[in-house]
Amino acid sequence: MQISRRSFFKGAIAAGTAAVLPRSAEAHEKIERPDAVGMLYDSTRCIGCRACVTKCKEANSLPYDRTGDGIYDAPTDLSNTTKNIIKVYEGAGESFAFVKQQCMHCVEPACVSVCMMGALHKEGEGKRPYKNEKKGTGIVLYDKDTCVGCRYCQIACAFNVPRFEWFKALPLIVKCELCKHRADPSREGPLAAGNPACCEACPREAVIYGKRAELLAEARRRIAAEPARYNDHIYGESDGGGTQVLYLAAAAIGFGQLGFPDLPEESSASFSEGVSHAPYLHGITPVALYAAMAFVIRRKKKRDEEPGK
Amino acid sequence: MSSHDHPRAIGGKKLDRLVLVLLAVFLGSAVVMVYRFVAGIGPVSNMTDGFTWGIWEPVNVVVFTGIGAGAYGVGLLCYLFNDERYHAFVRPSVLLGAIAYTLGGSSIVVALGRYWNAYLLGWVPLWNLNSALLEVAVCVVIYVSVLWVEVVPALLDAAAASQSPRWSRFGKKWGPRLARVMPYIIALAILLPTMHQSSLGGLMLIAGPKIHPLWHTALLPTLFLISCLSMGYGSVVVLTTVLHFTWKTKHDQKLFAQMSKVNAGFLILYAVLRLGDLAIHGKLAHLGLDFYTLLFVFEMALFLVPAAMFFAPAVQRNRGRLFGAALLTVAAGAIYRIDTYMTVYRPAPGWDYFPSFGELAVTVGMAAAGAAIFILVARTYPIVVVPGGASE
Repeated sequence: MQISRRSFFKGAIAAGTAAVLPRSAEAHEKIERPDAVGMLYDSTRCIGCRACVTKCKEANSLPYDRTGDGIYDAPTDLSNTTKNIIKVYEGAGESFAFVKQQCMHCVEPACVSVCMMGALHKEGEGKRPYKNEKKGTGIVLYDKDTCVGCRYCQIACAFNVPRFEWFKALPLIVKCELCKHRADPSREGPLAAGNPACCEACPREAVIYGKRAELLAEARRRIAAEPARYNDHIYGESDGGGTQVLYLAAAAIGFGQLGFPDLPEESSASFSEGVSHAPYLHGITPVALYAAMAFVIRRKKKRDEEPGK
Repeated sequence: MSSHDHPRAIGGKKLDRLVLVLLAVFLGSAVVMVYRFVAGIGPVSNMTDGFTWGIWEPVNVVVFTGIGAGAYGVGLLCYLFNDERYHAFVRPSVLLGAIAYTLGGSSIVVALGRYWNAYLLGWVPLWNLNSALLEVAVCVVIYVSVLWVEVVPALLDAAAASQSPRWSRFGKKWGPRLARVMPYIIALAILLPTMHQSSLGGLMLIAGPKIHPLWHTALLPTLFLISCLSMGYGSVVVLTTVLHFTWKTKHDQKLFAQMSKVNAGFLILYAVLRLGDLAIHGKLAHLGLDFYTLLFVFEMALFLVPAAMFFAPAVQRNRGRLFGAALLTVAAGAIYRIDTYMTVYRPAPGWDYFPSFGELAVTVGMAAAGAAIFILVARTYPIVVVPGGASE
């Protein structure tokens, strides 16, 4: 077989162009999970009592963040000891609004996309078989046994949710898992998948747990019933590809003011995977490049060794 | 002719003052590393959940491997584009690459929170192929081995030339055998950096919401690939010039100038792609009178000034000026990479970061270890080309 130098470089340039061209027309496959569970938080109902923060710590055996005098549990941000927190936005005059933060359980989570061995994974969709995991709930779970502690999840998460145990020799990543450990498999419906302590503790039903599809319908119903009360955007319906925790805010409050990033409808994971995979052409590019280069280099070596050269 | 100049061991005292100082610096950093393994990463670093990688990934991995990419760049010219003249650069740049990549890889172990699980990366069914970091990790581990295999011919040459008949026989037997499979290893040594150097840029694609729009683009992989080549060619010129002044190694100014013109091509390609990409996506509107614009202009200047210099005859003829321009290209790639990973990375308001003494100590210590290893290997084995015989 004869491959001329010129034709080889033509091929190399074609492969190179494929590598340089940012995106192929490959459509992103969206996984549908009709049984996905999540939460709906209604900022207009929250009174900021923080019962959910305390209950979360109890349910997850997390230590309290004591104030200086040691009396109150008063965390100011998510941390490796706080998986759930209530923050307050103070606007002009008397206006203010509460907001709850915890893992958003994204529909296409960036943390799962980047996790090297699937330590962070959607329930039942990990890289190794996990006992007691049911596919379809969409809960983002953490497996410490396949986590190397690279912290790429923290870089990738637009909500800065995963936290790291900085002051431990054998650290873990810490984040909300929708109280998967409190689930009761003998029950029907969402409570078989998880049972968030925060939703149980809330005295005003400002945060409720259920199927994402039903929560979305409920959110729409509330907006339709009281259009003057609500911001007509449901954060998480499609933001960043959608999240399984959904948010309602008061009409006068923007989600940016509550600390939410302004995200496009395409998830970061879909964007990144699309760009990264395109030049590989399903693995053909590296194999073809390798074969072509090995051929050229070997031929050159043979020619160099020919007598009289 | 360059092909007749053979590399030689430099010889001389192994543990001279410079090497001792370098090793002392490394020992200092080793203390920090030991403490990190006992107490966790928090006590030795200023890393937070916002700036979770500090300087260890951006500098120790992303910049170190960029410096080590000289082996990739020279390999491209020498083997793929068949330019025999660059052969004298191969061994020094391969050794530099092997050391830089090894240190980058070792730094990662220090930075990993749960390093004891890292062995699982060898188990293919666990691989998440969507993770750019997985690609980098697997690819770099293989490439480090490939680079050290590429160093072996120098060791076998040394064995063949040894006084001991046993070593001599060993070297003469295995040298040619290794040479026969070398093309397949060299092809791997070109493919792997193409993949993981672009993945180093691809790593930051997913952090789009946190990275300034002047830096975040679908071209990140391409720009990182090009910047590793410009850093690599620059670092080869810097290294060989330094070697010339310390050990009077062969210094071929014409060849340097020639290679630097190739480098200029890559520098200009980088600038054209980056500016074109901004223009096409209407991102030029982000330019204004602010810190980010200033930083952007500074970066572009770092790429374009040495490119212009490389075409100037006054620079091509002058050793010092060419050295300066080469240093600029290393700085250009390094600063572009650090900016993308750190300076323009904004997790959320309220987080700030400046490296701690411990973090800096580890980075500096790793670099010092690299320099010491290079000196020791070049003194013992035939790596660099010295005209007119070995200088004992």
